[in-house]
Amino acid sequence: MQTQTQMRDPARHHPTTTVRPPDFDAFWADLLATAEQIPLRPTLEPVAARSTDEVEVLEVGYTSLDEVRIAGWYCRPRHRPPPYPGLLIVPGYISEPTLPKTWARRGYAAFGVAPRGKLRSHHQYNPGYPGLLIDNILDRHTYAYRGFYIDAVRALEVLQQQPEVDRARIGVHGSSQGGALTIVTAALRPQAIACAAAGAPYLCGFLDAAALTHSYPYEELNEYLRRFPERAAAVRQTLNYFDGINFAPRIRCPLLLYLGLQDDVCPPETGFAVYDALQCPKTLHTADGCGHDAGAYWEAAHVEAFLADHLHP
Amino acid sequence: MDDQAAAFDSYWDALDVELARYPMAADLQPLSLHSSGTFQTYSVKLTSIGPYRIFGYFSVPTSVRTPAPALLLTPRYGSVNHIPDYHDRERYVVLQVVHRGQRLADRPFAAAYPGLLTLGITDPGRFIYRAIVADCLRGAEFLLSRPEVDPTRVAIQGDDLALITAARRSGCSALMVSEPLLYRLLERSGGTDAYPAEELNDFLRSQPEQQSAVAETLALFDAARHAPRVQATTLLVNAEADEALRQALGGPVEDYRLTHRGAVDHVWLDGWLAKQLGAEPRARFLEHALSTPEQGEHAP
Repeated sequence: MQTQTQMRDPARHHPTTTVRPPDFDAFWADLLATAEQIPLRPTLEPVAARSTDEVEVLEVGYTSLDEVRIAGWYCRPRHRPPPYPGLLIVPGYISEPTLPKTWARRGYAAFGVAPRGKLRSHHQYNPGYPGLLIDNILDRHTYAYRGFYIDAVRALEVLQQQPEVDRARIGVHGSSQGGALTIVTAALRPQAIACAAAGAPYLCGFLDAAALTHSYPYEELNEYLRRFPERAAAVRQTLNYFDGINFAPRIRCPLLLYLGLQDDVCPPETGFAVYDALQCPKTLHTADGCGHDAGAYWEAAHVEAFLADHLHP
Repeated sequence: MDDQAAAFDSYWDALDVELARYPMAADLQPLSLHSSGTFQTYSVKLTSIGPYRIFGYFSVPTSVRTPAPALLLTPRYGSVNHIPDYHDRERYVVLQVVHRGQRLADRPFAAAYPGLLTLGITDPGRFIYRAIVADCLRGAEFLLSRPEVDPTRVAIQGDDLALITAARRSGCSALMVSEPLLYRLLERSGGTDAYPAEELNDFLRSQPEQQSAVAETLALFDAARHAPRVQATTLLVNAEADEALRQALGGPVEDYRLTHRGAVDHVWLDGWLAKQLGAEPRARFLEHALSTPEQGEHAP
């Protein structure tokens, strides 16, 4: 990346040190094949207390990699006839999984997933916060995000299985870690996702990002490498398998990416690097003066319109 | 004093008495992984009412002279609180309170999200936020007791928990309040289906007969009723239309209207706090890259 004396200019200067391992696709193909051998065993329980006249809320459970049970909230419209477009909502790092009533009210069958380690999905795996980002980081075969990413893919499978969901109209959306999971899910299931909207994506250019900020969660990497500087190469080797920049070229659906140009949490340089790596129909919105909010105050309407244009709720 | 005011004072005075029964029994443990050459960060466990052990991240700057200005961060609504920001830990003695039910303070009680906001809400004596306020007050007592803290430069930052804490414990000179959680919750929840406010809508949909009981409980947490006891210089974020709250505050009041450009807003808010505490302002968005791991400069 840059030296300490260069002023940052993210839009113009955003080289990445991320390298795509030669066996990147094989690594993920193997993992997906392993996951497919595990029965999904979905459960959907109506939650009357959270449901309204307009939206039915259901609590979801399913099985993912390593037999870990994953939780989520599924919301579907009550007063519109199916089929509905499906919308997978993927969560941020410390935020609670979305209970996506608002999206269901707009006509989507919406699923807010809680990947492993989040509340209600943390009984078998619980590295904590801070902790998730560096858990088993020296080994790509056990690194935290191996199962976490597959949990998001399996959530898509749960959505696909719902009879009221139109499988040709499924989108994915999230910001921050949700932005990363949006990219990863669209990349690992390119035929299943009709459109994707990712804000301020995390887990892209990990070490480049950590070198540009002292903000959490990337500060977890800085802390780890202050303690174990000799492990930097091994850390980099693992992270290359989980980097959104390496997933990006696999995406086929239209993708909306939005960035805050002064984002201290997920530095915009890494967002620009992801955008460069995308080979799908793509749109980039940047918001000057914005940080990790990535202009959400205005961008929310753009995301809603983008999803509606492609998914037709 | 009318009956309502007397009941309000009685409720909160009783909480103070209950909390005072328990020694804080502070257990500080260094967190070397989360420390640097410029600050030492600790985990801290404290006893609050119940009795219940709560958690906190406590950090002391090592590159500035102590006693140093101090910052109390009240907990957010959600299961996780980050360790305080790096730049704050370099400038201030900082305590991030983690209330009961949140991660690291979730044994034996683990909060549900959604669910926490309405837990016990029909009974002021059992409403979870009574205990959560106690947790924040215990945090304030701990911070104010520390020899590293300059008692003339203490700030509290957070939602209405910050305001209530400043009202109930003297000793802070600055208060920054944004995104209130409980304040005017009944009124605000009517116009949204977004959580956490939707938790209250869910609750009242299934138990509409409890509306008045909920209102009575929330009235005890009304920031405007606590405000007269606040003596600190207070910054109200996005509350310029709330003349009642402004007028009620006992100390000087300033306003900031968010631009919704997060970095711009952060720089302004950080500058305000730094000015109140006599520290240098900082932007979290760095102008220059740090060194990279391969350059070997991540080493201590």
